[in-house]
Amino acid sequence: MNKLSPAKEEELLRYLDGEMEPSQKIKLEAELQAMPELKERLEELRTIRSFLVRKSTFETPSKTFTQKVMAGLDAQPVKSLFSPHKGLLLLMGVIIASVLALMLLSNGVFDNTSTSLLVDTTPIKNRWIEDTTFSIPFNGKILVNGIIFLNLALALVLLDRTVLRPWFQKRASVDY
Amino acid sequence: MITTEDEYVLIDRILAGEKQLYATLVDKYKSYAYTIAMKILENRSDAEEAAQDGFIKAFHYLKNFNRQAKFSTWLYRIVFNTAISYKRKVKPTFQSIETSIIEYSEQADHQTEQDDKQVYIVKAMNRLNEADRLAIQLFYIKEFNMEEVAEMMGQNLNTIKVRIHRARLRLADELKGLLKQEALTL
Repeated sequence: MNKLSPAKEEELLRYLDGEMEPSQKIKLEAELQAMPELKERLEELRTIRSFLVRKSTFETPSKTFTQKVMAGLDAQPVKSLFSPHKGLLLLMGVIIASVLALMLLSNGVFDNTSTSLLVDTTPIKNRWIEDTTFSIPFNGKILVNGIIFLNLALALVLLDRTVLRPWFQKRASVDY
Repeated sequence: MITTEDEYVLIDRILAGEKQLYATLVDKYKSYAYTIAMKILENRSDAEEAAQDGFIKAFHYLKNFNRQAKFSTWLYRIVFNTAISYKRKVKPTFQSIETSIIEYSEQADHQTEQDDKQVYIVKAMNRLNEADRLAIQLFYIKEFNMEEVAEMMGQNLNTIKVRIHRARLRLADELKGLLKQEALTL
């Protein structure tokens, strides 16, 4: 079957919905008689339409629906953990701390903080217990980098909770 | 039967403090609201919760209702948005499509060819993109016209018109394809 043009399919939909002028309807009905593929398509669309009409039933909510709504009217909306004011202050603090740490880092303050920490796990030594001392390399620069990374992650969370989310929620409520 | 004017009077009284009158509006629109939520969430308890939440939000925003649109349209938009945000929160139910097919398939053994087609249309519906599916389902709910569906979904009228037409054509194509496939496997 040749694919029908979008305009012809649109005509079929309008025909099914009863939105056609009488003259257009007569013309289309004549075409339907002459073109079996057009008729076939009309039947496919009719099947879909009748299914959708049949499926368009109303759902019935529970008997206690209204009571539950009325009981919920007094419930206070859940407040954010941070007030916008506190959140902004905290956000600024986190950003300032990160900037300071970055400045110190770029000035090379932490460049000479590489060392090894000696750890001795055996409080009593004797000739049967071998020496279990080991060392952990400690690099201050890496530690400060990690702290800055965590600070920035915290700053992003605070930005979301205290600025972005309340702003979008407010914008959505204005729409109503 | 409450007219639009009666509704406005009722809203004024609710806003003036007669909160209990809100039950009249809830009773009038609960079936519509619940149906909208069901079309979106496809789960009774989630839909009930979302529809109730929508009514509660509408109550809290009632003073913002500017009466340019009908109260019902304004309310349905809130319910629609609430159900959509519930859908984002609720974990996807991976078996939902399969379950609906199995349910229909079991019935199909004893029913007519027309019912067999329904199974495939349900299958085809699940293949539509979500916005097209919702537009077409809401449009076919009695009493919702295209303007209301557009308002509810926060999209313009032409977009909704295109979505509904495209969905109907696509469903017809899918149904044809599925029936052809079925005929080949017999």
